[in-house]
Amino acid sequence: MIETTFPRGTVLRIRPWLGIAAAATFVVASVMALLWAPTDAVQGDVYRILYVHVPLAWLSYLAFVIVFLASVGWLWSKRPVFDAIAVASAEIGVLFTGLFIVAGSIWAKPTWGVWWTWEPRLVTTSIMFVMYVGYLLLRSLSTDFSRRATRAAVFGIIAVIDVPIVHLSVLWANSLHQLPTVLRVSGGPALDSSMLLTLMVSLGAYTLVYAYFLSARISLELARQERMWTRT
Amino acid sequence: MLERLGSRRLLILAALGLAVIVGTVAATNLADSAVYYLTPSEVYARTVQRGQTVRLGGLVKTGSLSLKPVSFHGPNEFEFVITDGNAEVRVIGQGAIPGLLREGAGAVVEGSFAADARFVATQVIAKHDEVYRAPSPGATPEHRTSFP
Repeated sequence: MIETTFPRGTVLRIRPWLGIAAAATFVVASVMALLWAPTDAVQGDVYRILYVHVPLAWLSYLAFVIVFLASVGWLWSKRPVFDAIAVASAEIGVLFTGLFIVAGSIWAKPTWGVWWTWEPRLVTTSIMFVMYVGYLLLRSLSTDFSRRATRAAVFGIIAVIDVPIVHLSVLWANSLHQLPTVLRVSGGPALDSSMLLTLMVSLGAYTLVYAYFLSARISLELARQERMWTRT
Repeated sequence: MLERLGSRRLLILAALGLAVIVGTVAATNLADSAVYYLTPSEVYARTVQRGQTVRLGGLVKTGSLSLKPVSFHGPNEFEFVITDGNAEVRVIGQGAIPGLLREGAGAVVEGSFAADARFVATQVIAKHDEVYRAPSPGATPEHRTSFP
């Protein structure tokens, strides 16, 4: 009756290795970020939080784009697996956005001099966080699976518009947050090659962590769906 | 089935359409109206009232920064000039300033104008750019050096 066409056996065989790869890359990235990468000429060692803050930010964007794609997938095909992907990615996205804001705050105090200020990047990021918390709350408003998934999918499609707004908010006039370092408007990345390599390894580590969490959370959601259907 | 597929696609299109409208409105209007700080030129053009709380941003003018402790345990008194190249404002205040605040670099101050046209800052925020570089050999990172 319900076909998920999710290659569950393959995923279950791959997942432990994904976890090991994520943990190993995370250790390598941490060592590179804390010991190998040079200090910054202006900020000193405090800039090293970049290797946490930036990957978390990018992964938040990715998580919410996945929510968007899965939402379109659900509305298009009504295959329950898409709803499972959407909720899994939204939860991880909220977690990463929360950590991304905390890491940014910890970076802001010693450099800007304040923990928080109502600056465009910070405001749009808070909106993104609150919107996806709202997305998760919206999912608890209905017990009817199909209705809940459709409502959530419509919201998941609309909310993704804040992702480019967050990214581009630093280009607005008279803002405080620095411009993008890697994806610059003109010219190459504005950091030393060893710093860029460290950032890329960190990004890879966080992506693997995201993939591991996502796969585990999707399995959990599919098990829930199955239990729900066997009960009714 | 065709009919159901049609309504589903309509829902996707409606949601996408709404997303684009919300995004366009937010991007075009917020970028113009959500001003985090005013430059000195904008402050003079808008005739900001005395005592009105505003944020003022620009570069700390080279040679203008002075910092003196009031007493050993008391707060520091600071004074510097914020410039945007055309207009400048003399900023005074008491208390902590960020370690990254340097002459020639960006800063945002929050406070209000006093009677003598000086700006009394209640908060000083340092702005830094998106460039990260290893220090040149023999140099100490600026953030670690003691403040002038």
